[in-house]
Amino acid sequence: MSETALAKDTAPVLLEVENLAVEFDTYGGIVKAVRGVDFKVDHGETLAIVGESGCGKSVTVQAMMGLIPMPPGRITSGSARLRGSEVLGRNRLNSKEIRGAEIGMIFQDPMTSLNPTMTIGDQIAEPLQVHKGYSYRQAFNEAIRLLGISKIPEAARRAKQYPFEFSGGMLQRAMIAMAISCKPSILIADEPTTALDVTIQAQILDLMQDLQKETGMAIILITHDLGVVARMADEVAVMYAGKIVEHGSVDDVFYRSAHPYTLGLKKAMPTNDPSLQHKLLPIEGSPPDLFAPPPGCGYCARCPYAMQLCNVRHPDDFFLKETHFSRCWLHHADSPNKPQELYFRDKE
Amino acid sequence: MLLYTIKRLLQGIITVWFIATATFFAMHNVPGDPLINDRAMTATTRANLEAKYGLDQPVVTQYVIYLRNLVQGDFGISFTQENREVNDIIREHFPVSAILGILAVMFATVGGVLFGALTAIYRNRLPDYVIMFVVILSISVPSFVIAALSQLSLVSLNNVVGRTVLPVAGWGTIQHMLVPAMVLGLGTMAYLTRLMRSSMLEIISSDFVRTAKSKGVPPARIFARHQLRNAIMPVITVLGPAIAAITTGGFVVELVFAIPGLGRYFVQAVQQLDYTVIMGTTVFYGAFLVFMVIVVDVLYGFIDPRVRME
Repeated sequence: MSETALAKDTAPVLLEVENLAVEFDTYGGIVKAVRGVDFKVDHGETLAIVGESGCGKSVTVQAMMGLIPMPPGRITSGSARLRGSEVLGRNRLNSKEIRGAEIGMIFQDPMTSLNPTMTIGDQIAEPLQVHKGYSYRQAFNEAIRLLGISKIPEAARRAKQYPFEFSGGMLQRAMIAMAISCKPSILIADEPTTALDVTIQAQILDLMQDLQKETGMAIILITHDLGVVARMADEVAVMYAGKIVEHGSVDDVFYRSAHPYTLGLKKAMPTNDPSLQHKLLPIEGSPPDLFAPPPGCGYCARCPYAMQLCNVRHPDDFFLKETHFSRCWLHHADSPNKPQELYFRDKE
Repeated sequence: MLLYTIKRLLQGIITVWFIATATFFAMHNVPGDPLINDRAMTATTRANLEAKYGLDQPVVTQYVIYLRNLVQGDFGISFTQENREVNDIIREHFPVSAILGILAVMFATVGGVLFGALTAIYRNRLPDYVIMFVVILSISVPSFVIAALSQLSLVSLNNVVGRTVLPVAGWGTIQHMLVPAMVLGLGTMAYLTRLMRSSMLEIISSDFVRTAKSKGVPPARIFARHQLRNAIMPVITVLGPAIAAITTGGFVVELVFAIPGLGRYFVQAVQQLDYTVIMGTTVFYGAFLVFMVIVVDVLYGFIDPRVRME
């Protein structure tokens, strides 16, 4: 084994999240929004976290960033390690601010995510002033450069304008410029294209990919749009009811789907290929009540292949290969049912 | 912006004309006659007054005379206080009311914004409960009670110290002004506190504050640069009417603290059916309110860039 390969093996992963669990106190009781989530991301990689509304994907990353109001929120267990050091509940790592400097973040609705009474340039300049000690002028000039990189025409003039003078797509570009201003090693994009129309979506995704190639940052992409996942992701984690149900490379999850929920998501995806004659099939029912999460698999009430066992015991991790696992009892050796449409390990 | 200001001023003039007209006709429908009272009035005086205001003429003629005088800035002569022009009354006593009002507004605004922001930040914790208790109290208790109570406390304070730290009543120095201004501004401060609290709560949970947090901006800077400026908007909006209300509504406080302000003359005039003083002060107060609302609207444009564009 060469020396560089050895060094690579021992170097800690860029970001490693383990068994993260988050709860919220509400008047109705305690909501267990995230119930033990694990994932890893390394430099230059894109991890997509996919799932429907309320499955805990946003809460997962916001907990990591310390953006969950506490109370009512609470991180009950787990750890998130950035280059091997714990970041949960901390704002700084080796005297470097985590938020804004180590990890940048962009949000779903650019229209409301920017301060309406501050110029775009000032808002992009702010993290530079706070984290890098730039003077106002230095920071503002850097903000103009960043706007240019984010492909905003006439950046110098635009920097002096306010958010209401920008379109949705341009605001999201400005958000990206702001998130990458301090050259973070990770960019978290929380449904970055959901509020934008389709042509703009593509441009924003291209911009993110270009920036990733240039800077080698990791991207954690949260979305419910499988089209976006296919375009962007290296790895996919499918989340349901606060847990990851399937995790693997984008090809494995798409072409060798091993969890009934992933399959349900794929069937519910619209297509524009007329030869497929694909009918849009919604997943019947609704997600489980997270006030009292089921003891077994969260998906079993909606799952067409559910067995009695699924109701009472949470499935183990069944590895289809080293980097691809599914949490579904159908993969157990004793399972009587092996549906054709699912991928199994022994299938050739 | 300039065009907007001019437009607002023109609108304001029309509003003031409405106020003047309404006051004029309202006064004419009030029963009674200020010229028939205990004090003897000579036939000559009566004739002179009737001639000046056209009191023996039809109402429409009187209205024209009234408007003509108004445009020339002449509010007329008091019917009951001999040889005192309404203009003089306003000139002498309005500055006192204005100074008291400005102090009260400053106190109300600073206090309201500060306490409102504090209650929002410490929502459902001790500071919130304490401040909101005081706020409800000061909205519910009428100002003459608070005025009397504060005088009582001043007496005790002066007794304890052994000399006059703050005078109990009167007018002249800054010491005279402090306590009346606070009493006068208290109700408005309480109102602004509640307004600021709800507005601040909305801003605290807004998306752009979350963005600022995700950028790693320290809390003090988030408060100053992201929260305060956006949360203060509704407060600014009501500030215009609030300034006018405080400046013109101070007669109870003026009476209790023996302050020679305009409010006292206004109330006296109503009691004595002193037409010219009532109409003069009403129109003056009305014009003042309209002007303050315009000033605040123009000011608003400087704080909110979205308004500036129009």
